[in-house]
Amino acid sequence: MSAEPVTGAGKEPPLLEVTDLVKHFPIRKGLLSRVVGQVRAVDGVSFSLAKGEVLGLVGESGCGKTTTGRSILRLIEPTSGSVKFEGREIVGMPKSELRALRRQMQIIFQDPYSSLNPRLTVGSIIGEAFAIHKTANRKQARENVAELLRFVGLSPDHARRYPHEFSGGQRQRIGVARALAVNPKLIVADEPVSALDVSIQAQILNLLQDLQERLGLTYLFVAHDLSVVEHISDRVAVMYLGKIVELADRVTTYADPRHPYTQALLSAIPVARPGAKKSRIVLKGDVPSPARPPSGCRFHPRCRLADGDRCAREEPALREITPGHWVACHYAEVSALK
Amino acid sequence: MSETRTEAGPRAGAPASVQPVLEVRDLRTHFFTDDGVVKAVNGVSFQVFPGETIGVVGESGCGKSVTALSILRLIPSPPGKIVGGQILYKGKDLVTASEPEMRKIRGNDISMIFQEPMTSLNPVYTCGDQIMEAIRLHQGVSKREARSRAIEMLKLVGIPLPEQRVDEYPHQLSGGMRQRVMIAMALSCHPSVLIADEPTTALDVTIQAQILELLERLQAELGMAIIMITHDLGVVAEVADHVAVMYGGQIQEYADVQTLFDRTTHPYTGGLLASIPKLGESVERLRVIPGAVPNPVDFPPGCTYHPRCHLAIDECAKVEPELLEYDPGHLVRCLRANEVRSGRVSPFPGRVAEQSEAS
Repeated sequence: MSAEPVTGAGKEPPLLEVTDLVKHFPIRKGLLSRVVGQVRAVDGVSFSLAKGEVLGLVGESGCGKTTTGRSILRLIEPTSGSVKFEGREIVGMPKSELRALRRQMQIIFQDPYSSLNPRLTVGSIIGEAFAIHKTANRKQARENVAELLRFVGLSPDHARRYPHEFSGGQRQRIGVARALAVNPKLIVADEPVSALDVSIQAQILNLLQDLQERLGLTYLFVAHDLSVVEHISDRVAVMYLGKIVELADRVTTYADPRHPYTQALLSAIPVARPGAKKSRIVLKGDVPSPARPPSGCRFHPRCRLADGDRCAREEPALREITPGHWVACHYAEVSALK
Repeated sequence: MSETRTEAGPRAGAPASVQPVLEVRDLRTHFFTDDGVVKAVNGVSFQVFPGETIGVVGESGCGKSVTALSILRLIPSPPGKIVGGQILYKGKDLVTASEPEMRKIRGNDISMIFQEPMTSLNPVYTCGDQIMEAIRLHQGVSKREARSRAIEMLKLVGIPLPEQRVDEYPHQLSGGMRQRVMIAMALSCHPSVLIADEPTTALDVTIQAQILELLERLQAELGMAIIMITHDLGVVAEVADHVAVMYGGQIQEYADVQTLFDRTTHPYTGGLLASIPKLGESVERLRVIPGAVPNPVDFPPGCTYHPRCHLAIDECAKVEPELLEYDPGHLVRCLRANEVRSGRVSPFPGRVAEQSEAS
């Protein structure tokens, strides 16, 4: 398959281009740790991100969305495939070169409690970047830290404090400031609000949105929550068992989802409106193990449209059914919900 | 003035013919820590009627879980202590019940399911053993009888191959399956009240839909009352008949679910509703509640919510509002509730109040 999902803009080359990304984790057993199988966490993922765009990457636990995000930054070494950042191939790039490039690609983690070093002051956590990348001397670094803290809605005095003195929302702001310290172009936000209280989630989402607009950032926004993703994304990719099953702009994803999995995922979200019970598609069973994915279409054992023949035999390709709307389903043309 | 004072708590005016199965009256659970007294639950009252679901909503630290643990008297003591109030189960006060009496009630009359099924199941016993333990303890049946009932329960909660699963260990099951085992265990003695503490928070959204549907079906079949503790207003809108919104150890608003969403009165309820991104509703920016949940050792004076409240006036920092009944069954703890109700101010932050036609 040579065609890969491209952004609608088309003119400018994409900031990030991921082609056939694969990450398999070996399963080792026995005394000699022989490899007895592979967990196919990410199994051929392709997408591209235009500058200034926000792509939401959604799926349930174990679908490979986090592994995808981390493989792109090579925090996890991908098994195969290509990741191009501004046209430069990242997979296989020497470590020294990669380090310089990391200045432009940063990550915000899910858990604001475990992602900040408890022994460092907030000033050192954020300022570390300046020392590593040698982008500022100490005095400048201190000023930059103060500036960054103000930027994310904290006070410059907070630089002298330790992470445990902050609430979850404040810690996530520190995480954001740390990511911004090196002036990145791309930020992989890995479930940045999942661990936060409802009222704090909204604060952080607004902050991320403001920063994106002010600094022209590009986000890969990884989340399991479709309503959060809808709020912040331009386009949305839905993953299931290591593959993208649907990719479309935000409006299409939510108004006219064509993959039965996307449809089920959307209908499963409880709506904060009593009596608004929708005709819910409740999926049967659990997500199968990515070590032994089902034959053919990986979703067929749980799918309402499975035909018991082709779906079990032939893996559907991710194909463009209307401009910009990519679906990996044999029945994408007839799957629309009324 | 339409408000009346309520002594007995929400829904004191319910028809006398139906008795509540559980009634919490002015419950106060405090923790005595080195940093000071944490008033985790500070005067909570509500009633639960047979077969109904009451949703208890709030963010972390609002006291919703401590309320649940207090009902079963599972508060670690020290440092925790129920310092006041009553918990009446079918007329009997559980606050003063002896430990052997409580042991008979837990799991038999009132049972509980927890958020994290992995940590609340014992990893070294099979699922069957754990379900059988409750059955044998409370029902005094033979081992064989208990086992067949355990299998029956597993079948009831929709676990495939129950005869095989009964001998499996928790680690052999997926998260959703573990939660089903927990539910099977909790319901094995047909309790009249089930307390579900964030039962779907740790689960994926499609599995959450399965579990909520299961609970609904079991409630219809077995007729138990459910206390659903959650932070998710979506879950509440779907399953609850009545809702208590908690903040700072107190109920801030109490109403039937339709009223709570249609006639939202407390600014905290309004803030929570405004700050969740809604599916299919694109907005430029989410409206937010500023600040963070206050430190429970040091709650602000007056209304605990006033430092974050968009409607706060000077008086809010001085006077602690009471939970008053504005319409039958609709209780609000806010000094400005009448202004919200008349439409002069909006309970939703960042939304300009509609001008009333009269002015």
